Amino acid sequence: MRLFHILQSRLRSILFRDRRESDLDEELQLHLDREIERLEATGLSHEQARLQALRAFGGVEQIKEAARDARGTGAWDALVRDTRQGLRRLVRDWRFTTAAVLILGLAIGANTAIFSVVNAVLFRKQAFADPDRLVNIYQNDRTGRPLVVTSYAAYKEIAEYPDVFASTMAGSIPNPGRYLHEGAVRDGVVEFATATYLDVLGLRPSLGRWFDQSEERPGAPLVAVVGYQAWTRLFRADPSLVGRVIKIEGRPVTIIGIGPANHRGTLDVGLGTDFWLPITAVPSIFPGFAPRDVPTIFVPLFVKARLRDGVTVSQAKAAMDVLGRRLAAENPEAFRIEGEFSLGPGMTVVPSTDVRIHPQADKPLMAIASLVLVVVGLVLAIACSNLATLLLVRGATRAKEVSVRLAMGATRRQLVRHLLSESVLLSLAGGIAGCIVASWGMRALQQIDLPFRLDFTVDYRVLAFAIAVSLVTGVVFGLAPALKATRVDLVQTLRDEGLQPIDHRRLTLKNALIVFQVAISVLLLGGTSIFLQMTAAARALRIGYAVDGVAMLETDLRFASYSDADARRVYDDLLRRIQAVPGVQSAALLRGLPMGPNSVQIVVDGASDQKGVEAVVFAAGPGFFDTLRIPLLYGRVFDARDRADTPHVAVITDRMARLYFGSVDAVGRRFRIQNNPNSWTEVIGVVRDTGTGDFEDDVLDPIGPPFYNSYTQTGAQPTTVMARTSGDAASLVAAMQRELRAVDVTLPVVTAQTMAQKLENAQAAPKGIATLFGALGGLGLVLASIGLYAVVAFAVARRSREIGIRMALGARSQQVVWSIAQGVAGLIGVGTGIGLVLLVLLILVMRAGSGSADIGIGNLTVYRPSIDPLALLTIAAVTALVGVAAAFVPGRRAALMDPLVALRHD
Amino acid sequence: MSDQTDVLQGTLDLLILRTIALEPMHGWAIAQRIQQISDEQLRVAQGSLYPALHRLEHQGWITADWGTSENNRRARFYSLTKAGRKQLEAEVAKWERLSAGVNLVLQRT
Repeated sequence: MRLFHILQSRLRSILFRDRRESDLDEELQLHLDREIERLEATGLSHEQARLQALRAFGGVEQIKEAARDARGTGAWDALVRDTRQGLRRLVRDWRFTTAAVLILGLAIGANTAIFSVVNAVLFRKQAFADPDRLVNIYQNDRTGRPLVVTSYAAYKEIAEYPDVFASTMAGSIPNPGRYLHEGAVRDGVVEFATATYLDVLGLRPSLGRWFDQSEERPGAPLVAVVGYQAWTRLFRADPSLVGRVIKIEGRPVTIIGIGPANHRGTLDVGLGTDFWLPITAVPSIFPGFAPRDVPTIFVPLFVKARLRDGVTVSQAKAAMDVLGRRLAAENPEAFRIEGEFSLGPGMTVVPSTDVRIHPQADKPLMAIASLVLVVVGLVLAIACSNLATLLLVRGATRAKEVSVRLAMGATRRQLVRHLLSESVLLSLAGGIAGCIVASWGMRALQQIDLPFRLDFTVDYRVLAFAIAVSLVTGVVFGLAPALKATRVDLVQTLRDEGLQPIDHRRLTLKNALIVFQVAISVLLLGGTSIFLQMTAAARALRIGYAVDGVAMLETDLRFASYSDADARRVYDDLLRRIQAVPGVQSAALLRGLPMGPNSVQIVVDGASDQKGVEAVVFAAGPGFFDTLRIPLLYGRVFDARDRADTPHVAVITDRMARLYFGSVDAVGRRFRIQNNPNSWTEVIGVVRDTGTGDFEDDVLDPIGPPFYNSYTQTGAQPTTVMARTSGDAASLVAAMQRELRAVDVTLPVVTAQTMAQKLENAQAAPKGIATLFGALGGLGLVLASIGLYAVVAFAVARRSREIGIRMALGARSQQVVWSIAQGVAGLIGVGTGIGLVLLVLLILVMRAGSGSADIGIGNLTVYRPSIDPLALLTIAAVTALVGVAAAFVPGRRAALMDPLVALRHD
Repeated sequence: MSDQTDVLQGTLDLLILRTIALEPMHGWAIAQRIQQISDEQLRVAQGSLYPALHRLEHQGWITADWGTSENNRRARFYSLTKAGRKQLEAEVAKWERLSAGVNLVLQRT
């Protein structure tokens, strides 16, 4: 009962604060009035009575304060008061507040976004039951290092060790796959797995069931489990999805279940798996995966097993080594994995908890991730130090206010609390701004057009991280200046003998920070220029053909179940209709996206070297070169004469002619595909090389010279129609879609866009990176200029008395500005110089790298930038300008100062 | 007037509780009653009366309700709660022990 009263009274006093105040007023007023009445009754005049009563009463405010304290709401009131005062002050100093919130928001936002991505890739723990008993098993290469993947045949052998493993499973790497949803073909992520997949992980489907052993048998009807994330996002968590049929890569597949909510796929690195299919479905979904007539399935697998009770990892390893040697001895070819990996006799067994992605990949990835985190952390550190400087500047200009307050009897505790509340408010605002920036950043990251959908979400740990960072920052940078501000020598400051010795050490550190920041900004801007250079290089490469007025439409006949003969008729019909569209000058059918290359080894007739050389083949049809306006240099291009029953012909590029035929005019010469002795092909024409339009192929990793063959001869189906119009390409896109529907309404549109859009999209990744660098460089510049501003403002505040004396003695304002500018210019100059040197070094290192760097799991191709003096000059000029502008504001204030005011300045 | 003694710190709570044990009263009346009953020997300073009232209310020993004063004005009337009544008994016992002790010391030395 008493507790209830206490609670009630406290709540009431907090909630109904105003009413409580007026109650108190009324109560005290009544007291006073009654006292006056009583004194009047003793014979005093009203005025005398009032005075005496008031005198006896004492200070009304003190009584109120004491009554408030007695209610136990004093701390609350103080908090409210501090918050209000802090807010008022922050609003009044809106320039400072904006700068501070901007710094914090950008720094925290960048931290949160990048931490989220790194977290999604590396630190998210998979939710497996009893994970300590799970092991990963890899086949080794010849040097004894675990290979990236394991073959299905090897997996089946591994599964035959029930005395070592209680259960084994395999899941493929995620594959891009198309599926039909709501009439549109979408890009998804398909994974193949064994029936044991979920059981080994100790997980359950969230709806329906996983496929069983009978569905894993070859030839069984196709079934699939939908990933939980895809289910909630694409199918709006519709439970009736289970039992429905979805077309995946054109094949009808029955959905039998929904995956676990806490499992996103075998490789949980930002891509969520949309569909799991039984491993035996590989040949029917991806026929191209098994090009050779072998009984095993060549799909790269990740194998996991649950150890039998009492079996240790090293025992399992010993058993697997025996198996590995046996496999290597029995039939090494059957256990080869498609690709360039060479298989060794050993096997690697590691606890699953020790592996994030792959034993060989984890270390370099971790190193890259730590580097990224260090860089981002540095940005935050710079931001915090800048804020501390800003607050110090404020503290210096507020020293007098602080001493007045201290002299008036404010306790140090009150002052510190007051100043602290200000910085906590600031950092909270910064934290909120940071969350906004982070979610924008994540959204921007997800906008990047990729065949996969990256699945990064700001998760609660990241959010907690951001809030913790912002609070710690607030307390740290709030307390230091606050404590410094309260440790003011009262007499000294009040007497205004402002010429305290400047703390040179502190200034030196600050100067070093400024130089560092300017240098980093230059470096980041340099990164931006390198990526812009890359984009420009890619653009320069496709000058070879004209994209204006060209539109393309890709469909996928696998989703409309046509026979091959019917399919060809459908395409011919579509081509005729599009050629008839008003304004269309030429149209062509082709296979794959325009400029979708395929690397082959060719042997030139008569060449001494029969080993084969690399070339890239495009499947084009008649009309292709006209449509893209690719100039023909010699001979002719494809036409109706080239049929399946006529000798195979090719149109080659001048680059290929020069490289492999010795002269540009190679018409009439022959070559063949290396592994097919009967594929002799005659060169009928030479066109100019145009590049592929794909950024990576053209710029990062130039592949062999291209040539073209005709789909009319190779037997492959076209997939795409491309047309040139004299009018607007965008309206041609619409017209082409109309014609497609006229041919067959069930035909899905895979892509329909102008060629210009297509090329633009191919550049999205480098452009995105350039934007990211640009943003980081801009962020660095903003931070550096705020730092510059703070340092100059600090110096001006410290020297205002000196400036006043100099001006009173006749110095002109230019001289004052000059004396300030000298120091600043020095800082900017040194910083820019260091940054430029670092940038040139970086470019030289990138150029020295032979175009690629081995990161353990394959080659990372690196662009070779050139040193562009104009870009370097621009970067230096921008940095210097921004820096000078930042320093100009406080410098000008000093110069415009009235000498009298400056002399009196605190 | 000059003979009046300010109420001892710590005994004010006891006096307030005792005073309003009879009937609910507002602040001024409590001060007056204490003064009258003590034959004007004790004086309650306003500066400590109201904080004490609010503290007692906050501790749940008394409650306040708005009522009408003897001169027809709105006033906060304080009355004892159940816990307050117990507290009063405890305070009285404590005071009796204390004053008896003090008296003994004064008499025997």
